Amino acid sequence: MAETPLADVFVEMADTLIDDFDVIEFLHVLTERCVELLGVSAAGLLLTDQRDTLQVVAASSERTRLLELFQLQTDQGPCLDCFHTGQPVSVADLTLTTARWPRFTAAAAEVGFAAVHALPMRLRSEVIGALNLFDVQPGAIDGDKLRIGQALADVATIGLLQHRAIHQRDILTEQLQTALNSRVLIEQAKGILAERLQVDVGQAFAILRDGARSRNRRLSELSQAIVDGSEQFASVPVTNRPG
Amino acid sequence: MDRNNPGRGDPMTADRRRRLWAVVVDAARGGAVAVDHVCAAAVSVAGVDSGAVAVILDATPRELVCATDRTALELEDLTLTLGEGPCVDATTGGPVLVGDLTVPECRNRWPVFAPAAVLAGTGAVFALPLRVGGIRLGVLDLYRACAGDLGAEQLADALVLADTACAVLLDDATRHGADRDDQWPERTGLHHPEVHQATGMITVQLGVSAAVALIRLRAYAYAQDRRLRDVAADVVARRLRLGPAGTADDRHG
Repeated sequence: MAETPLADVFVEMADTLIDDFDVIEFLHVLTERCVELLGVSAAGLLLTDQRDTLQVVAASSERTRLLELFQLQTDQGPCLDCFHTGQPVSVADLTLTTARWPRFTAAAAEVGFAAVHALPMRLRSEVIGALNLFDVQPGAIDGDKLRIGQALADVATIGLLQHRAIHQRDILTEQLQTALNSRVLIEQAKGILAERLQVDVGQAFAILRDGARSRNRRLSELSQAIVDGSEQFASVPVTNRPG
Repeated sequence: MDRNNPGRGDPMTADRRRRLWAVVVDAARGGAVAVDHVCAAAVSVAGVDSGAVAVILDATPRELVCATDRTALELEDLTLTLGEGPCVDATTGGPVLVGDLTVPECRNRWPVFAPAAVLAGTGAVFALPLRVGGIRLGVLDLYRACAGDLGAEQLADALVLADTACAVLLDDATRHGADRDDQWPERTGLHHPEVHQATGMITVQLGVSAAVALIRLRAYAYAQDRRLRDVAADVVARRLRLGPAGTADDRHG
C-alpha cells in the first residue's frame, strides 16, 4: 500500500473544498485516504437520513459484501451506537462482542474483519453521521491514529456542508438530503452501466468514476445524465481497475 | 407478512413509520390510499395549515395533483404562474425549508413569489422533493400562515411522508388499501442500494425510463409477494430478468 503523508492528504482535501466539487466523490476519496493514512482495511461513511436511520454514502471499496456490512450497521453495530451517543466506539476484538451485536459480528467475521472503530461526525450539538473503520487484525487503534481519524471525520462534515455557514437546520437538511439522493442516483447509474457494459456493479462504479474524471464532470451530474439518457456513455475507455 | 413486516430494522424507524401509516390510512377513511391522503397526513403531523402535491410529467412542467384547501391552491397557482419559489427550486434540488418568507434572503431569492405569498397570508413554506435518485416525480409543498421552522420531529415525519408519497405515486392505485393496513409501501430511499442498481439495469434491459423501470420492479415484487430488495438482488445478480410486460423471464446463471 502506498504511503501518503498526512500533510498531503489535508492539502488535497483543502484544495477540493475551495473548488466546485462533488460531495459523494469527495467523501469517497476521503474514505480511501483513511485506509492509507490509518493503515486500516476498509473505511465507510454513514449519514443520518433525518428519519431515524443511517445510510451508507461512501466507502473505500465498492465491493458488494463490504457495502452490505456497512449497510447492516444501519440496524445494529458500533456505528449506530456511535451515532446515538456521539462518542467514538472502538472494538479491538470482534469475537468478544457476539452477544451485543450478533448479526453484525457474524457478518464482519464472514468478510474477515477482526476489529472495528466508529468515529462521530459532529456539527455542534448535532451528530450527523459516523466514520466507520474496519481492520483484519485485532487490536486497539493508537491514540494518534484515532485523532487523525477524528480530524478526517470532521473534514468530511465540513465537506458535506460545503463550507457554507450552517446555523440553520434548513441548509443542513438540504445538504444531507441532496447527498443521500446523489447516492441513490449513483446506484441507478451503476446499474445502467453494469447492464450496458456487462460488468458487475462494483466495476461499474470504477468506470463511472473514471468517466467523471476524464470528462471533468461531477459524479452526480454525470450520473443524472446517464439516468435521464442524455449521456450514452457508449465509447467508454474501460480501465481494468479492480472493483 | 414478511415483506412489509414493520418490526424489521431500526425500531425507532419502524415506530415512526407505523404511526405515520396509521395517520395516512385514517385520512383515506376506508378507501384506497392515494397521494392526497398522504398530503393530508403530512399537513397534520408537520403542524402546518395546508399542503399540495404537484407532479412533474415529461410533457408538462408541473401538474397539481391535490391541494388541501384554497390557500394551497392559490399558492400553487402562484408558483405555476411566476415560475419561481421554494416549490420550483425543490423540483430540481433538495428540500427547501423557509421558516420565514419575509426575511431579505427570501426576497432576494424569489423577488416576485416571496412578497406575493406573504400577501396571500403565508408565513412559511416547506417544499420537499418527491424524487428517487435521478427519477423526479414531483414535490410535496407545505404551507403555514405563521412564520417558524419545523421542529426536528415534524421534519422527520414530513420526510417519511414524502417517501410514502413517492411510493404511492409509483405503485398501482388500488394497492395500498385501508383494509390492508399491514401493507405499507416499500420505502424508496437508500436503504437497499440493490433496488436502485436493479432499476438502472432494467432501464437498459427493457429500453424504458428509470421511472418506468422502478414501477415495473415494484409491481413485479408485489405480484410475486416478495420483498423488493430480494427481487432487486436477483436482478443485480442476473438471476432474474423482467420481461417487457413486467413478467418474469426467469433465468439462472
